[in-house]
Amino acid sequence: MSPMHWDWLVWFLKANVIYGGLLGTAAGMTLAERKVSAWMQYRHGPNRVGPWGLLQPIADGVKFIFKESLTPDGANKWLFRCAPALAAIPSMLTIAVIPMGPAIPFIPGDYKYFSITDLDIGLMYLLSIGGLSIYGIILGSWASNSKFSLLGGLRASAQMISYELTLILSILAVVTLTGSLDLRDAVAAQSGAIWEWHVFSQPLAFILFSIAAFAETNRHPFDFAECEPELVSGFHTEYSSMRFAMFALGEYCAMVVIASLWTTLFLGGYNVPFWEDAPWFLCIGAFLAKTSIFLFLFLWVRWTLPRFRFDQLMALGWKVFLPLALANLFLTGAAVSYGVKLW
Amino acid sequence: MVIVRRKDLSLLEKLYLPEIARGLSITFRKLFEKKITRQYPEEPLPTNEVTRGQPRLVVKDDGHIACVSCGMCEIACPAYAITIDGGETDRAIEREPVRFDIDMLRCILCGFCEEACPKDAIYMSNELELADYSRAALVYDMEKLKRPKAALQKRIDYVYRLNNRWRKSSSTR
Ligand code: SF4
Ligand code: SF4
Repeated sequence: MSPMHWDWLVWFLKANVIYGGLLGTAAGMTLAERKVSAWMQYRHGPNRVGPWGLLQPIADGVKFIFKESLTPDGANKWLFRCAPALAAIPSMLTIAVIPMGPAIPFIPGDYKYFSITDLDIGLMYLLSIGGLSIYGIILGSWASNSKFSLLGGLRASAQMISYELTLILSILAVVTLTGSLDLRDAVAAQSGAIWEWHVFSQPLAFILFSIAAFAETNRHPFDFAECEPELVSGFHTEYSSMRFAMFALGEYCAMVVIASLWTTLFLGGYNVPFWEDAPWFLCIGAFLAKTSIFLFLFLWVRWTLPRFRFDQLMALGWKVFLPLALANLFLTGAAVSYGVKLW
Repeated sequence: MVIVRRKDLSLLEKLYLPEIARGLSITFRKLFEKKITRQYPEEPLPTNEVTRGQPRLVVKDDGHIACVSCGMCEIACPAYAITIDGGETDRAIEREPVRFDIDMLRCILCGFCEEACPKDAIYMSNELELADYSRAALVYDMEKLKRPKAALQKRIDYVYRLNNRWRKSSSTR
């Protein structure tokens, strides 16, 4: 086999493993969500399908496939069909640039990191593609010809615009420190001791990012696009069957991606603390462990906090988070340009 | 008119984050607490002699049912669930049912049959589960209704205890 074919094979393998992992995690998250919510309410959660309920996501998937897929009267059929894919695909694409570990020694090839692709502007790619998923939500809500859906979609777009700003500004503070939009550089900058992690040098950005991440993924306490008590089910009120499942899948994939981004930017990525050249499997393990912390946080917060009011959400976003993020970015920039070592 | 006075929040409370952390710590502790869900088919409901489950026919210690097919329960039944065909027997009681069906889909578990029976032949058991694949299978015949007296003894004692409140000392037992 020529080296070029070999590289293709390695790339193919990596893509399969990482996408499989992403979809598997998303499916596992649906089970985890129900289990965690149950435990917090003294219940057991799903425990009938398979040992400990582990096969529940598969049962759910089969059920979704066999359900009837309804299209409401007066809906824009074409957009109505496209929207779920448009919502799900961007969040699945963005996992491609996250470096999950170093190269694996026994699979030689022309790659340095365990990620689907090595991109110099990984962050840029991630943010721009990730921002597209809102189109799926807005189009889906518009195409369903229902006022509840439309309201949900409008809220989602307003919320996305306000919180995307905070999210990007808090990421920029980290970018200012590392001086690169490359996620691999962000990881390299945090190697070594645990206090090299950006969570310690950028605590404010860390908190802002974490909160904005909840709003970005439309999760509690900011899930105004769904908001069952007011809007029936928000943007996917009219969706059923696999199309509905696609929206859910998109949401969970977005959660996984945001959690990996959180790990990469603030928690040292795949670095094992105090061990610069840890073996590859420990690195990947560390990455997964750190990511699952944030995934658990998503569930934990969802089943703890009540939903905000929409005007509170907007006021919080524009009057509190945006100024804080701007001030943080300004101070970081000033410190970096005057050569002050912050940490 | 009601004037709602909101609590003045301290600075820490206005920051939200410490309060959120407090809330999170509560839910985290609840994660490990004992579950209160009853895993139904494996952990059945607790029953006792007061439980008024499905009616069952008493089989005496000599192996015969106590019923003499008098038809009292059939008449008492408000749901017309009981169907009895009487027949003769060589035993001292002379009569016994050749057919005794209770349509469990009609039975409302009221216990009137138990009250009506003059021969202590029908009692409410603690059996509550009722599921099958056809309607016909839920019309219980005599074989399905028979229970040894020992299995119903607690209920029998309980009913006697209840009725003793009204029973004159002269009445026979
Ligand atoms: S319990 Fe009531 S309804 Fe059921 S068989 Fe007896 S009398 Fe009829
Ligand atoms: S009342 Fe008692 S003895 Fe009479 S038919 Fe019913 S079960 Fe038999």
